[in-house]
Amino acid sequence: MEISWIQAALLGLFACLSSMPGLGGTSIGNYTLGRPLIGGLVCGIILGDIYSGILVGVAMQVVYIALVTPGGTVSADVRAVSYIGIPLAMIALKSYGLDAGSADGQAMATSFGTMVGTLGTVLFYGTATINLVWQHIGWRAVEKGDFNKLYVVNMGLPWISHILCSFIPTLIMCKMGAPMVELIKNYLPMDGIAMMTLFTVGSLLPCVGIAILLKQIATKAVDFIPFFFGFTLAAALGINLVSATVIAGMFALINYRIKMLAINKPAAASETDDDDEEDI
Amino acid sequence: MEKKLTKKTLTKSFHNWYYGNLTCFSQEHMQTFGYLCSMLPVVNELYDKQEDKAKAMQTYTAFFNTEPQIGSVIVGMTAGLEEARANGDDVDDETINGLRAGLMGPLAGIGDSLVVGTVIPILLGVALGMSDGGSPLGAIFYIIVWNLFAYFGMKFLYFKGYELGGKAVDFLVGPQGEALRESITMLGGIVIGAVAATWVSVSTSFTLTAEGATEPYLNLQKTLDSVYPGFLTAAFVMLCWYLLAKRKMSPIKVMLLLVVIAFVGVLVGFFNPGLQY
Repeated sequence: MEISWIQAALLGLFACLSSMPGLGGTSIGNYTLGRPLIGGLVCGIILGDIYSGILVGVAMQVVYIALVTPGGTVSADVRAVSYIGIPLAMIALKSYGLDAGSADGQAMATSFGTMVGTLGTVLFYGTATINLVWQHIGWRAVEKGDFNKLYVVNMGLPWISHILCSFIPTLIMCKMGAPMVELIKNYLPMDGIAMMTLFTVGSLLPCVGIAILLKQIATKAVDFIPFFFGFTLAAALGINLVSATVIAGMFALINYRIKMLAINKPAAASETDDDDEEDI
Repeated sequence: MEKKLTKKTLTKSFHNWYYGNLTCFSQEHMQTFGYLCSMLPVVNELYDKQEDKAKAMQTYTAFFNTEPQIGSVIVGMTAGLEEARANGDDVDDETINGLRAGLMGPLAGIGDSLVVGTVIPILLGVALGMSDGGSPLGAIFYIIVWNLFAYFGMKFLYFKGYELGGKAVDFLVGPQGEALRESITMLGGIVIGAVAATWVSVSTSFTLTAEGATEPYLNLQKTLDSVYPGFLTAAFVMLCWYLLAKRKMSPIKVMLLLVVIAFVGVLVGFFNPGLQY
Protein backbone atom coordinates (compact mmCIF):
# COMPACT_ATOMS: atom_id res chain seq x y z
CA MET A 1 0.00 0.00 0.00
CA GLU A 2 1.39 3.38 -1.03
CA ILE A 3 0.66 6.59 0.81
CA SER A 4 0.70 9.64 -1.48
CA TRP A 5 2.20 12.98 -0.47
CA ILE A 6 -1.27 14.48 -0.15
CA GLN A 7 -2.45 11.66 2.12
CA ALA A 8 0.71 11.92 4.22
CA ALA A 9 0.27 15.70 4.49
CA LEU A 10 -3.35 15.27 5.61
CA LEU A 11 -2.23 12.81 8.28
CA GLY A 12 0.41 15.35 9.33
CA LEU A 13 -2.24 18.04 9.65
CA PHE A 14 -4.35 15.83 11.89
CA ALA A 15 -1.26 15.09 13.97
CA CYS A 16 -0.89 18.85 14.57
CA LEU A 17 -4.52 19.15 15.61
CA SER A 18 -4.76 16.11 17.82
CA SER A 19 -1.79 16.07 20.14
CA MET A 20 -1.70 17.19 23.72
CA PRO A 21 -1.02 20.38 23.52
CA GLY A 22 -2.78 20.25 20.17
CA LEU A 23 -4.01 22.96 17.86
CA GLY A 24 -7.50 21.52 17.69
CA GLY A 25 -8.00 22.60 21.31
CA THR A 26 -8.25 20.19 24.22
CA SER A 27 -11.78 18.86 23.74
CA ILE A 28 -11.84 18.57 19.95
CA GLY A 29 -8.15 17.98 19.39
CA ASN A 30 -6.69 15.86 22.16
CA TYR A 31 -9.82 14.21 23.53
CA THR A 32 -11.56 13.61 20.19
CA LEU A 33 -9.18 13.47 17.22
CA GLY A 34 -6.35 12.14 19.38
CA ARG A 35 -8.23 9.06 20.59
CA PRO A 36 -7.04 6.06 18.53
CA LEU A 37 -10.62 4.97 17.79
CA ILE A 38 -11.33 8.32 16.12
CA GLY A 39 -7.83 8.34 14.60
CA GLY A 40 -8.71 4.98 13.04
CA LEU A 41 -11.78 6.47 11.40
CA VAL A 42 -9.85 9.52 10.14
CA CYS A 43 -6.93 7.42 8.84
CA GLY A 44 -9.40 5.00 7.28
CA ILE A 45 -11.12 7.84 5.42
CA ILE A 46 -7.81 9.40 4.28
CA LEU A 47 -6.32 6.08 3.17
CA GLY A 48 -9.55 4.78 1.69
CA ASP A 49 -10.01 1.73 3.93
CA ILE A 50 -12.40 2.56 6.76
CA TYR A 51 -12.86 -1.10 7.78
CA SER A 52 -9.15 -1.69 8.52
CA GLY A 53 -8.74 1.79 9.97
CA ILE A 54 -11.48 1.26 12.54
CA LEU A 55 -10.26 -2.20 13.49
CA VAL A 56 -6.68 -1.01 13.98
CA GLY A 57 -8.02 1.99 15.92
CA VAL A 58 -10.09 -0.31 18.17
CA ALA A 59 -7.05 -2.49 18.91
CA MET A 60 -4.92 0.53 19.86
CA GLN A 61 -7.72 2.25 21.79
CA VAL A 62 -7.94 -0.75 24.10
CA VAL A 63 -4.33 -0.15 25.16
CA TYR A 64 -4.83 3.57 25.67
CA ILE A 65 -8.38 3.81 27.04
CA ALA A 66 -7.09 4.61 30.50
CA LEU A 67 -4.57 7.11 29.14
CA VAL A 68 -4.73 10.20 31.28
CA THR A 69 -2.32 13.09 31.23
CA PRO A 70 -2.72 14.80 34.59
CA GLY A 71 -0.49 17.80 35.16
CA GLY A 72 0.95 17.55 31.67
CA THR A 73 2.55 14.16 32.22
CA VAL A 74 2.47 12.24 29.00
CA SER A 75 3.21 8.52 29.02
CA ALA A 76 2.23 7.95 25.40
CA ASP A 77 1.78 10.50 22.66
CA VAL A 78 -1.64 10.27 20.99
CA ARG A 79 -0.61 12.08 17.81
CA ALA A 80 2.03 9.42 17.22
CA VAL A 81 -0.30 6.55 18.13
CA SER A 82 -3.18 7.78 15.98
CA TYR A 83 -1.52 9.34 12.96
CA ILE A 84 1.80 7.49 12.66
CA GLY A 85 1.03 4.17 14.36
CA ILE A 86 -2.32 3.51 12.68
CA PRO A 87 -1.17 4.23 9.08
CA LEU A 88 2.00 2.16 9.59
CA ALA A 89 0.01 -0.69 11.11
CA MET A 90 -2.40 -0.56 8.16
CA ILE A 91 0.54 -0.80 5.74
CA ALA A 92 2.08 -3.63 7.76
CA LEU A 93 -1.19 -5.57 7.73
CA LYS A 94 -1.40 -5.19 3.95
CA SER A 95 2.22 -6.24 3.46
CA TYR A 96 1.75 -9.38 5.59
CA GLY A 97 -1.61 -10.06 4.03
CA LEU A 98 -3.30 -10.16 7.44
CA ASP A 99 -6.93 -9.30 8.08
CA ALA A 100 -7.29 -6.40 10.50
CA GLY A 101 -10.00 -8.31 12.37
CA SER A 102 -7.94 -11.44 13.01
CA ALA A 103 -6.16 -12.06 16.30
CA ASP A 104 -2.73 -11.80 14.67
CA GLY A 105 -3.73 -8.58 12.96
CA GLN A 106 -4.94 -7.08 16.24
CA ALA A 107 -1.75 -8.10 18.05
CA MET A 108 0.36 -6.52 15.36
CA ALA A 109 -1.67 -3.32 15.34
CA THR A 110 -1.34 -3.10 19.12
CA SER A 111 2.42 -3.59 19.07
CA PHE A 112 2.90 -0.96 16.37
CA GLY A 113 0.73 1.51 18.25
CA THR A 114 2.50 0.89 21.54
CA MET A 115 5.93 1.19 20.01
CA VAL A 116 5.20 4.41 18.15
CA GLY A 117 3.27 5.84 21.09
CA THR A 118 6.06 5.25 23.58
CA LEU A 119 8.75 6.62 21.29
CA GLY A 120 6.42 9.49 20.34
CA THR A 121 6.62 11.04 23.80
CA VAL A 122 9.77 12.70 22.42
CA LEU A 123 7.46 14.69 20.12
CA PHE A 124 5.44 15.89 23.10
CA TYR A 125 8.43 17.17 25.02
CA GLY A 126 9.81 18.70 21.82
CA THR A 127 6.63 20.68 21.19
CA ALA A 128 6.40 21.87 24.79
CA THR A 129 10.03 22.98 24.73
CA ILE A 130 9.74 24.96 21.49
CA ASN A 131 6.62 26.64 22.90
CA LEU A 132 8.86 28.20 25.56
CA VAL A 133 10.27 30.46 22.82
CA TRP A 134 6.80 31.72 21.88
CA GLN A 135 5.96 32.25 25.53
CA HIS A 136 9.09 34.34 25.88
CA ILE A 137 7.81 36.55 23.04
CA GLY A 138 4.48 36.61 24.89
CA TRP A 139 5.97 37.92 28.12
CA ARG A 140 7.70 40.72 26.22
CA ALA A 141 4.37 41.65 24.64
CA VAL A 142 2.70 41.72 28.06
CA GLU A 143 5.44 44.00 29.41
CA LYS A 144 4.96 46.40 26.50
CA GLY A 145 1.18 46.27 26.85
CA ASP A 146 0.79 44.89 23.33
CA PHE A 147 -1.93 42.49 24.41
CA ASN A 148 -3.37 41.58 21.03
CA LYS A 149 -0.11 39.84 20.30
CA LEU A 150 -1.15 37.24 22.88
CA TYR A 151 -3.51 35.71 20.33
CA VAL A 152 -0.60 35.22 17.93
CA VAL A 153 1.50 33.75 20.73
CA ASN A 154 -1.16 31.40 22.03
CA MET A 155 -2.84 30.29 18.82
CA GLY A 156 -0.56 31.20 15.92
CA LEU A 157 3.09 30.61 16.72
CA PRO A 158 2.60 27.10 18.18
CA TRP A 159 1.91 26.05 14.59
CA ILE A 160 5.65 26.33 14.05
CA SER A 161 6.29 23.93 16.95
CA HIS A 162 3.80 21.56 15.41
CA ILE A 163 5.20 21.79 11.90
CA LEU A 164 8.54 20.74 13.37
CA CYS A 165 7.34 18.16 15.88
CA SER A 166 4.06 16.86 14.43
CA PHE A 167 3.72 17.59 10.73
CA ILE A 168 7.20 16.74 9.45
CA PRO A 169 7.71 13.54 11.52
CA THR A 170 4.26 12.27 10.51
CA LEU A 171 4.78 13.21 6.87
CA ILE A 172 8.11 11.44 6.67
CA MET A 173 7.14 8.35 8.67
CA CYS A 174 3.93 7.85 6.67
CA LYS A 175 5.47 8.63 3.29
CA MET A 176 8.30 6.25 4.08
CA GLY A 177 5.63 3.77 5.24
CA ALA A 178 6.61 0.62 3.36
CA PRO A 179 10.39 0.88 3.91
CA MET A 180 9.72 1.92 7.51
CA VAL A 181 7.65 -1.20 8.13
CA GLU A 182 10.44 -3.31 6.59
CA LEU A 183 12.98 -1.60 8.81
CA ILE A 184 10.94 -2.23 11.95
CA LYS A 185 10.38 -5.83 10.88
CA ASN A 186 14.10 -6.43 10.38
CA TYR A 187 15.53 -4.58 13.33
CA LEU A 188 12.76 -5.14 15.82
CA PRO A 189 11.40 -8.64 15.26
CA MET A 190 8.25 -9.28 17.28
CA ASP A 191 9.78 -12.12 19.28
CA GLY A 192 12.96 -10.11 19.92
CA ILE A 193 13.83 -8.62 23.29
CA ALA A 194 13.38 -5.01 22.14
CA MET A 195 9.86 -5.50 20.82
CA MET A 196 8.81 -7.62 23.78
CA THR A 197 10.12 -4.95 26.15
CA LEU A 198 8.34 -2.17 24.27
CA PHE A 199 5.13 -4.12 24.31
CA THR A 200 5.43 -4.86 28.01
CA VAL A 201 6.20 -1.20 28.70
CA GLY A 202 3.07 -0.31 26.77
CA SER A 203 0.96 -2.47 29.06
CA LEU A 204 2.67 -1.13 32.20
CA LEU A 205 2.52 2.58 31.35
CA PRO A 206 -1.24 3.02 31.85
CA CYS A 207 -0.56 2.10 35.51
CA VAL A 208 1.33 5.40 35.85
CA GLY A 209 -1.66 7.38 34.59
CA ILE A 210 -4.00 5.58 36.99
CA ALA A 211 -1.50 6.08 39.83
CA ILE A 212 -1.28 9.83 39.14
CA LEU A 213 -5.07 10.04 39.38
CA LEU A 214 -4.95 8.05 42.60
CA LYS A 215 -2.31 10.35 44.02
CA GLN A 216 -4.77 13.23 43.67
CA ILE A 217 -7.61 11.47 45.42
CA ALA A 218 -5.87 9.17 47.88
CA THR A 219 -3.50 10.13 50.65
CA LYS A 220 -4.15 7.48 53.29
CA ALA A 221 -4.93 3.77 53.22
CA VAL A 222 -8.69 4.28 53.73
CA ASP A 223 -8.87 6.32 50.50
CA PHE A 224 -7.97 3.22 48.52
CA ILE A 225 -11.11 1.37 49.49
CA PRO A 226 -13.27 3.02 46.78
CA PHE A 227 -10.59 2.22 44.19
CA PHE A 228 -10.41 -1.43 45.20
CA PHE A 229 -14.17 -1.58 45.47
CA GLY A 230 -14.42 -0.55 41.81
CA PHE A 231 -11.54 -2.82 40.85
CA THR A 232 -13.27 -5.77 42.50
CA LEU A 233 -16.60 -4.96 40.86
CA ALA A 234 -15.00 -5.16 37.43
CA ALA A 235 -12.27 -7.79 37.89
CA ALA A 236 -13.93 -10.28 40.22
CA LEU A 237 -17.63 -9.72 39.55
CA GLY A 238 -17.29 -8.89 35.86
CA ILE A 239 -19.54 -5.82 36.07
CA ASN A 240 -19.15 -3.48 33.08
CA LEU A 241 -18.18 0.18 33.31
CA VAL A 242 -21.61 1.74 32.89
CA SER A 243 -23.08 -0.49 35.60
CA ALA A 244 -20.10 0.14 37.85
CA THR A 245 -20.71 3.87 37.45
CA VAL A 246 -24.33 3.50 38.51
CA ILE A 247 -23.25 1.61 41.63
CA ALA A 248 -20.56 4.23 42.30
CA GLY A 249 -23.15 6.98 41.84
CA MET A 250 -25.39 5.39 44.47
CA PHE A 251 -22.56 5.26 47.00
CA ALA A 252 -21.57 8.84 46.21
CA LEU A 253 -25.17 9.96 46.73
CA ILE A 254 -25.40 8.21 50.08
CA ASN A 255 -22.10 9.77 51.13
CA TYR A 256 -23.30 13.24 50.09
CA ARG A 257 -26.58 12.86 52.00
CA ILE A 258 -24.79 11.77 55.15
CA LYS A 259 -22.30 14.65 54.95
CA MET A 260 -25.06 17.18 54.33
CA LEU A 261 -26.98 15.83 57.29
CA ALA A 262 -23.98 16.40 59.51
CA ILE A 263 -23.55 19.94 58.15
CA ASN A 264 -27.20 20.98 58.39
CA LYS A 265 -27.82 19.61 61.85
CA PRO A 266 -25.99 22.26 63.89
CA ALA A 267 -27.30 24.96 61.56
CA ALA A 268 -30.90 23.84 62.08
CA ALA A 269 -30.39 23.70 65.83
CA SER A 270 -29.18 27.29 66.02
CA GLU A 271 -31.96 28.42 63.62
CA THR A 272 -29.79 30.61 61.45
CA ASP A 273 -30.96 31.61 57.98
CA ASP A 274 -28.83 29.16 56.12
CA ASP A 275 -31.56 28.40 53.58
CA ASP A 276 -29.84 30.49 50.90
CA GLU A 277 -27.30 27.76 50.42
CA GLU A 278 -29.88 25.53 48.80
CA ASP A 279 -30.32 27.96 45.88
CA ILE A 280 -26.84 27.46 44.54
CA MET B 1 -22.42 54.07 35.34
CA GLU B 2 -22.27 50.42 36.28
CA LYS B 3 -20.11 48.42 33.90
CA LYS B 4 -21.62 45.19 32.66
CA LEU B 5 -19.99 42.64 30.41
CA THR B 6 -22.04 41.88 27.33
CA LYS B 7 -23.02 38.35 26.48
CA LYS B 8 -20.96 38.66 23.32
CA THR B 9 -17.77 39.43 25.21
CA LEU B 10 -18.34 36.62 27.66
CA THR B 11 -18.96 34.17 24.83
CA LYS B 12 -15.77 35.31 23.13
CA SER B 13 -13.85 34.92 26.37
CA PHE B 14 -15.32 31.43 26.80
CA HIS B 15 -14.44 30.43 23.24
CA ASN B 16 -10.88 31.63 23.74
CA TRP B 17 -10.66 29.31 26.73
CA TYR B 18 -12.52 26.43 25.09
CA TYR B 19 -10.15 26.43 22.14
CA GLY B 20 -6.95 27.91 23.48
CA ASN B 21 -6.52 26.55 27.00
CA LEU B 22 -3.56 24.40 26.08
CA THR B 23 -2.51 25.46 22.58
CA CYS B 24 0.70 27.13 23.77
CA PHE B 25 1.53 24.59 26.47
CA SER B 26 4.97 24.41 28.01
CA GLN B 27 6.11 22.63 31.15
CA GLU B 28 6.90 26.01 32.67
CA HIS B 29 3.69 27.98 32.22
CA MET B 30 1.15 25.35 31.17
CA GLN B 31 -2.23 27.12 30.79
CA THR B 32 -1.14 30.66 31.68
CA PHE B 33 -1.28 31.95 28.09
CA GLY B 34 -4.64 30.33 27.45
CA TYR B 35 -5.88 32.18 30.53
CA LEU B 36 -4.47 35.52 29.38
CA CYS B 37 -6.19 35.12 26.00
CA SER B 38 -9.54 34.36 27.54
CA MET B 39 -9.34 37.34 29.93
CA LEU B 40 -8.31 39.75 27.17
CA PRO B 41 -11.82 40.40 25.75
CA VAL B 42 -13.12 40.92 29.29
CA VAL B 43 -10.36 43.39 30.21
CA ASN B 44 -10.69 45.22 26.90
CA GLU B 45 -14.37 45.84 27.45
CA LEU B 46 -14.14 46.83 31.10
CA TYR B 47 -11.27 49.31 30.92
CA ASP B 48 -10.65 52.18 28.52
CA LYS B 49 -7.25 53.37 29.66
CA GLN B 50 -4.19 51.41 28.61
CA GLU B 51 -2.64 51.46 32.10
CA ASP B 52 -5.80 50.05 33.67
CA LYS B 53 -5.76 47.26 31.11
CA ALA B 54 -2.11 46.56 31.80
CA LYS B 55 -2.75 46.48 35.53
CA ALA B 56 -5.65 44.05 35.13
CA MET B 57 -3.81 41.78 32.72
CA GLN B 58 -0.83 41.67 35.05
CA THR B 59 -3.04 39.79 37.53
CA TYR B 60 -3.45 36.88 35.16
CA THR B 61 0.23 36.38 34.40
CA ALA B 62 0.47 34.13 37.47
CA PHE B 63 0.98 30.44 36.78
CA PHE B 64 -2.19 28.52 36.05
CA ASN B 65 -2.91 24.87 35.42
CA THR B 66 -5.98 22.77 36.08
CA GLU B 67 -8.21 20.28 34.30
CA PRO B 68 -9.30 22.57 31.43
CA GLN B 69 -12.86 21.28 31.08
CA ILE B 70 -13.99 21.63 34.70
CA GLY B 71 -11.56 24.55 35.09
CA SER B 72 -13.67 26.79 32.85
CA VAL B 73 -15.70 27.60 35.97
CA ILE B 74 -12.62 29.40 37.37
CA VAL B 75 -12.26 31.50 34.21
CA GLY B 76 -15.93 32.44 34.47
CA MET B 77 -15.52 33.39 38.12
CA THR B 78 -12.57 35.67 37.46
CA ALA B 79 -14.52 37.35 34.65
CA GLY B 80 -17.21 38.06 37.26
CA LEU B 81 -14.65 39.30 39.76
CA GLU B 82 -12.94 41.51 37.19
CA GLU B 83 -16.29 43.11 36.44
CA ALA B 84 -16.81 43.75 40.15
CA ARG B 85 -13.33 45.26 40.39
CA ALA B 86 -14.00 47.58 37.44
CA ASN B 87 -17.10 48.78 39.27
CA GLY B 88 -15.01 49.76 42.25
CA ASP B 89 -15.68 46.74 44.45
CA ASP B 90 -13.00 45.74 46.92
CA VAL B 91 -11.32 43.08 44.79
CA ASP B 92 -7.56 43.10 44.51
CA ASP B 93 -4.91 40.98 42.81
CA GLU B 94 -4.47 38.83 45.89
CA THR B 95 -8.18 38.00 46.03
CA ILE B 96 -8.25 36.89 42.41
CA ASN B 97 -4.98 35.00 42.45
CA GLY B 98 -5.66 33.47 45.83
CA LEU B 99 -8.91 32.17 44.43
CA ARG B 100 -7.25 30.86 41.28
CA ALA B 101 -4.47 29.16 43.19
CA GLY B 102 -6.89 27.80 45.77
CA LEU B 103 -9.27 26.31 43.24
CA MET B 104 -7.02 24.95 40.52
CA GLY B 105 -5.80 22.05 42.65
CA PRO B 106 -9.16 20.77 43.94
CA LEU B 107 -10.82 21.27 40.55
CA ALA B 108 -8.01 19.43 38.77
CA GLY B 109 -8.70 16.56 41.15
CA ILE B 110 -12.43 16.57 40.35
CA GLY B 111 -11.87 17.11 36.64
CA ASP B 112 -9.28 14.39 36.21
CA SER B 113 -11.25 11.82 38.15
CA LEU B 114 -14.67 12.78 36.79
CA VAL B 115 -14.01 13.79 33.16
CA VAL B 116 -10.79 12.08 32.14
CA GLY B 117 -11.00 9.13 34.52
CA THR B 118 -14.74 8.45 34.30
CA VAL B 119 -16.66 10.05 31.42
CA ILE B 120 -14.12 9.50 28.65
CA PRO B 121 -13.31 5.82 29.42
CA ILE B 122 -17.03 5.05 29.69
CA LEU B 123 -17.87 6.75 26.38
CA LEU B 124 -14.89 5.07 24.72
CA GLY B 125 -15.87 1.71 26.21
CA VAL B 126 -19.38 2.01 24.79
CA ALA B 127 -17.99 3.22 21.45
CA LEU B 128 -15.53 0.32 21.25
CA GLY B 129 -18.40 -2.14 21.60
CA MET B 130 -20.24 -0.44 18.75
CA SER B 131 -17.16 -0.46 16.49
CA ASP B 132 -16.19 -4.03 17.25
CA GLY B 133 -16.67 -5.48 13.78
CA GLY B 134 -15.06 -2.55 11.95
CA SER B 135 -18.15 -0.35 11.87
CA PRO B 136 -17.50 3.41 12.07
CA LEU B 137 -20.64 3.84 14.17
CA GLY B 138 -18.83 3.76 17.53
CA ALA B 139 -16.32 6.41 16.49
CA ILE B 140 -19.10 8.67 15.23
CA PHE B 141 -21.06 8.10 18.44
CA TYR B 142 -18.06 9.17 20.53
CA ILE B 143 -17.36 12.26 18.41
CA ILE B 144 -20.92 13.52 18.76
CA VAL B 145 -21.68 12.64 22.38
CA TRP B 146 -18.33 13.69 23.83
CA ASN B 147 -18.18 17.02 22.01
CA LEU B 148 -21.74 18.01 22.86
CA PHE B 149 -21.03 17.10 26.49
CA ALA B 150 -17.72 18.97 26.57
CA TYR B 151 -18.88 22.12 24.81
CA PHE B 152 -22.16 22.64 26.61
CA GLY B 153 -20.81 21.42 29.93
CA MET B 154 -17.92 23.86 29.80
CA LYS B 155 -20.17 26.70 28.65
CA PHE B 156 -22.56 26.02 31.51
CA LEU B 157 -19.70 26.00 34.03
CA TYR B 158 -18.21 29.21 32.62
CA PHE B 159 -21.45 31.15 32.84
CA LYS B 160 -22.32 29.67 36.22
CA GLY B 161 -18.91 30.79 37.45
CA TYR B 162 -19.46 34.30 36.04
CA GLU B 163 -22.88 34.58 37.65
CA LEU B 164 -21.68 33.49 41.07
CA GLY B 165 -18.28 35.20 40.98
CA GLY B 166 -16.71 35.12 44.43
CA LYS B 167 -19.78 33.42 45.89
CA ALA B 168 -18.85 30.29 43.97
CA VAL B 169 -15.83 29.93 46.24
CA ASP B 170 -18.02 29.31 49.28
CA PHE B 171 -19.92 26.77 47.26
CA LEU B 172 -16.80 25.03 45.98
CA VAL B 173 -14.65 25.03 49.11
CA GLY B 174 -17.25 25.56 51.86
CA PRO B 175 -18.65 22.64 53.87
CA GLN B 176 -21.28 21.85 51.24
CA GLY B 177 -18.69 22.02 48.49
CA GLU B 178 -16.44 19.75 50.46
CA ALA B 179 -19.21 17.20 50.88
CA LEU B 180 -19.90 17.37 47.14
CA ARG B 181 -16.22 17.12 46.24
CA GLU B 182 -15.72 14.20 48.56
CA SER B 183 -18.68 12.38 47.04
CA ILE B 184 -17.52 13.05 43.48
CA THR B 185 -14.04 11.89 44.38
CA MET B 186 -15.52 8.72 45.80
CA LEU B 187 -17.47 8.13 42.60
CA GLY B 188 -14.32 8.82 40.59
CA GLY B 189 -12.27 6.47 42.77
CA ILE B 190 -14.70 3.59 42.27
CA VAL B 191 -14.96 4.10 38.50
CA ILE B 192 -11.18 4.49 38.11
CA GLY B 193 -10.82 1.17 39.90
CA ALA B 194 -13.27 -0.39 37.45
CA VAL B 195 -11.48 1.25 34.50
CA ALA B 196 -8.13 -0.10 35.69
CA ALA B 197 -9.54 -3.58 36.12
CA THR B 198 -11.31 -3.53 32.75
CA TRP B 199 -8.73 -1.88 30.52
CA VAL B 200 -5.31 -2.14 32.12
CA SER B 201 -3.93 -5.62 32.02
CA VAL B 202 -0.56 -6.59 33.41
CA SER B 203 0.00 -10.30 33.20
CA THR B 204 2.90 -12.66 33.63
CA SER B 205 3.79 -15.60 31.46
CA PHE B 206 5.83 -17.27 34.20
CA THR B 207 5.19 -20.99 34.39
CA LEU B 208 7.04 -24.01 35.73
CA THR B 209 6.57 -27.29 33.95
CA ALA B 210 7.76 -30.66 35.24
CA GLU B 211 9.97 -32.63 32.89
CA GLY B 212 7.92 -34.58 30.39
CA ALA B 213 4.61 -33.02 31.49
CA THR B 214 2.47 -31.06 29.02
CA GLU B 215 0.64 -28.97 31.62
CA PRO B 216 2.69 -26.64 33.83
CA TYR B 217 2.42 -27.36 37.56
CA LEU B 218 2.81 -23.68 38.32
CA ASN B 219 1.00 -21.04 36.31
CA LEU B 220 1.75 -17.85 38.21
CA GLN B 221 -0.88 -15.72 36.48
CA LYS B 222 -3.64 -18.22 37.33
CA THR B 223 -2.42 -18.60 40.89
CA LEU B 224 -2.32 -14.84 41.46
CA ASP B 225 -5.74 -14.38 39.87
CA SER B 226 -7.20 -17.00 42.17
CA VAL B 227 -5.95 -14.98 45.14
CA TYR B 228 -7.41 -11.74 43.82
CA PRO B 229 -8.51 -11.30 40.20
CA GLY B 230 -6.32 -8.73 38.49
CA PHE B 231 -3.71 -8.99 41.25
CA LEU B 232 -0.72 -7.98 39.11
CA THR B 233 -2.48 -4.97 37.58
CA ALA B 234 -3.48 -3.74 41.04
CA ALA B 235 0.02 -4.41 42.36
CA PHE B 236 1.65 -2.35 39.61
CA VAL B 237 -0.78 0.52 40.11
CA MET B 238 0.01 0.48 43.82
CA LEU B 239 3.74 0.36 43.12
CA CYS B 240 3.47 3.42 40.85
CA TRP B 241 1.36 5.21 43.44
CA TYR B 242 3.88 4.42 46.17
CA LEU B 243 6.77 5.74 44.06
CA LEU B 244 4.88 8.89 43.07
CA ALA B 245 3.20 9.79 46.36
CA LYS B 246 5.49 8.37 49.03
CA ARG B 247 8.90 8.41 47.38
CA LYS B 248 8.10 11.72 45.59
CA MET B 249 9.49 10.43 42.30
CA SER B 250 8.58 12.32 39.13
CA PRO B 251 6.30 10.50 36.65
CA ILE B 252 9.12 10.46 34.10
CA LYS B 253 11.38 8.60 36.52
CA VAL B 254 8.61 6.12 37.30
CA MET B 255 8.13 5.51 33.58
CA LEU B 256 11.84 4.93 33.08
CA LEU B 257 11.84 2.53 36.00
CA LEU B 258 8.97 0.64 34.36
CA VAL B 259 11.04 0.36 31.19
CA VAL B 260 13.82 -1.23 33.26
CA ILE B 261 11.35 -3.56 35.00
CA ALA B 262 9.87 -4.54 31.62
CA PHE B 263 13.31 -5.23 30.17
CA VAL B 264 14.44 -7.37 33.11
CA GLY B 265 11.05 -9.08 33.20
CA VAL B 266 11.31 -10.03 29.54
CA LEU B 267 14.86 -11.31 30.03
CA VAL B 268 13.94 -13.62 32.90
CA GLY B 269 10.75 -14.76 31.21
CA PHE B 270 8.36 -13.06 33.62
CA PHE B 271 6.80 -11.00 30.83
CA ASN B 272 6.15 -12.42 27.41
CA PRO B 273 3.46 -10.73 25.36
CA GLY B 274 3.45 -13.73 23.01
CA LEU B 275 3.71 -11.76 19.82
CA GLN B 276 4.58 -13.12 16.44
CA TYR B 277 4.14 -12.16 12.85
